Amino acid sequence: MRALVVPGLLAVGMATTGAGALEGQSLKHYSTTRQFHGEVRLAAKIEFGGGTLNVGAGAPGSLYAMQLSYDAERFQPVSRWESGTSTVTLGLASRDKGTVGVGGTKQDQVADVQFSPQADLNLSMATGAAKSVVDLGGLRLSSLVVETGASQTEVRFSKRNAMRCTAAEFRAGVAELTVVGLGNSLCDRVSFEGGMGSVVLDYSGAWTADAKLEATLAVGGLTLRIPRAVGVTITTEQFLASFQPAGFTRQGNRYTSSNNATAARHLDIALTTSLGGVTVEWLD
Amino acid sequence: MCRGSRLLVAAGLLFLTGSPAFAAAPIRIQAAHPAPQAVPSAPEGGFTVSLRDLSNPAELEPVLARALRESKLPGFALTVPGGTARIGRFSIGAGESQQGDVLVLNGNADLYGRLSGNLVTVEGDITLHPGSYVSGSVLAYGGQVHQAGGQVTGEINTIGSLPAEEVAAASPAALSPLVQALRNVAGLAGVFLTLLGIGFGLVLFGKPNLEIISDTVSHTFGRSFAVGFLAQVLVVPTFGVLILGLVLSVVGILLIPFAVIASVLLVLVAVLAGFLGVTHALGEKYTRRQLAQGSLGSPNSYRYVVTGLAGMILLWTGWAAFGWVPVLGWVAFGAAAVVTWLLLTVGLGAALLSRLGLAGHFAGRFIPPEALTDEYLWATPQFGVPAARRPGQHKTPPPVR
Repeated sequence: MRALVVPGLLAVGMATTGAGALEGQSLKHYSTTRQFHGEVRLAAKIEFGGGTLNVGAGAPGSLYAMQLSYDAERFQPVSRWESGTSTVTLGLASRDKGTVGVGGTKQDQVADVQFSPQADLNLSMATGAAKSVVDLGGLRLSSLVVETGASQTEVRFSKRNAMRCTAAEFRAGVAELTVVGLGNSLCDRVSFEGGMGSVVLDYSGAWTADAKLEATLAVGGLTLRIPRAVGVTITTEQFLASFQPAGFTRQGNRYTSSNNATAARHLDIALTTSLGGVTVEWLD
Repeated sequence: MCRGSRLLVAAGLLFLTGSPAFAAAPIRIQAAHPAPQAVPSAPEGGFTVSLRDLSNPAELEPVLARALRESKLPGFALTVPGGTARIGRFSIGAGESQQGDVLVLNGNADLYGRLSGNLVTVEGDITLHPGSYVSGSVLAYGGQVHQAGGQVTGEINTIGSLPAEEVAAASPAALSPLVQALRNVAGLAGVFLTLLGIGFGLVLFGKPNLEIISDTVSHTFGRSFAVGFLAQVLVVPTFGVLILGLVLSVVGILLIPFAVIASVLLVLVAVLAGFLGVTHALGEKYTRRQLAQGSLGSPNSYRYVVTGLAGMILLWTGWAAFGWVPVLGWVAFGAAAVVTWLLLTVGLGAALLSRLGLAGHFAGRFIPPEALTDEYLWATPQFGVPAARRPGQHKTPPPVR
């Protein structure tokens, strides 16, 4: 009797664990796209809770597209289109609260979002515990807002923006944020508000006009990478912060680069730091 | 092959046949789409799937899963407000146009012409051929959208296959009989253990009450059934009258939440205590019979409850083992359900008659416990020679409290 019971129990156990393993593997796939029908502008909001987010330029034939692999037990895809304002909201929402989910997931969720290079894009992003790679090169970016939580975010302008961008705003919590190629962004004004974390603002790229940066940093490190040909003026308000830039002339709370008078392009930086450290690196 | 090896092979086979991967295999085989046919509209208030808004696939998903599941049943009917539903392959030819939303279940959709509305396929692909036009959105649920030159004004969406459990539910044959039987047995085991825990708790803390309910079942079976049946009929009206009375009294409105909770608890306790009383009675009868035939062991309430519950569970083993057989499974289920209901009704009646085991009017205890002294028991022959005189033999003693 015992000889029969033991294998029976084994079989039940194995079947049960087999079921559990299969259930644990399931990532659901979702895709949405809207064909390009000559739209002039697009306002896009991306809400992404957890996983890996990739954003970039898409095929000319589509206004926007998103491909998702997500944990269907905890998240649900979001794709809302408001035709009146040409606004689309894309991403993943938590099933529990109906808002952006931040909780960790065992599954490796991935979202790939693409936008049309033909429509003016007003992009707003909010990411939770995510790793984001956002390449805005080749798009027609008119404005940008990036809000990150406890995340690792890299924003790249790999190609020159196809139009002037009024403003780019970055708000980072406890985040690692890297913005590369801000010279290609053609943004008149860049602002950054950081809580804790490590932030790199790289102004490499093809400069076509002067630019402004407003940076507020509480705790953490801010690294500014600036082409050597650009004249820089930094106005600081500091509290317990260290700021020792090389190649600058100080006049009160104002620092001016040595080439400021002769440079063809200028960058004005208004810097407010509490406990953060600010480093300026020159790019040759 | 030695005995151990054979057992291992048997375990392996059990695992293979019982594993979900094996069970899911037939799903792939069933991928062939059925013959194209229109789905008749459901009667007023019947199953309705609105395709007006495809922007929230998570909300639409369970409805579509249900539609797919039920589409395999005979007499399937479904209403798509402002549109149509179809099973199997669907197409709109070049130069043709169709108005309204279209739901295609278990089939591909090929569009060459114009569709004024939304298009949704469930377990099928959508192909937008050159020259085709859709004024709304398209959604392929468990399929792909092939853009071959057609135009869509709205969104083009795809969402992955149905969750495995819904696919399994959509095709009952997908689960192997062994897995079904194992699930049923596991369910029965869970019920048995739960009731056993409650029963032991009742024996531990309320043995006199349980015994009185049990004795009431044994001695007044018919009356208990009648009372239990009457209680089932009257429970809802009584509850309604109670709530109405509280509402009419105005002051009692505040007591309504407490009355609701108390009523529900009372009914639950009565049903549970009654049921355990029945199992106790069954177990006692069986155990005493076994002991009379010379079996070893001691008669006690724990044993009665275990034995009775085992008997009750045995009722359902036929269904657990053969529930997957079309007719036999239903018969086994029906028989077990009827007998269980009968015993539940008797138990409920006994619980009510005995005021949850507080009163022994119907428990057949004509001799008050205080009379059972050692002297009385010594002087009174229990078997064989009848007693000449028993205290209170000619008159009914007062009820036990």
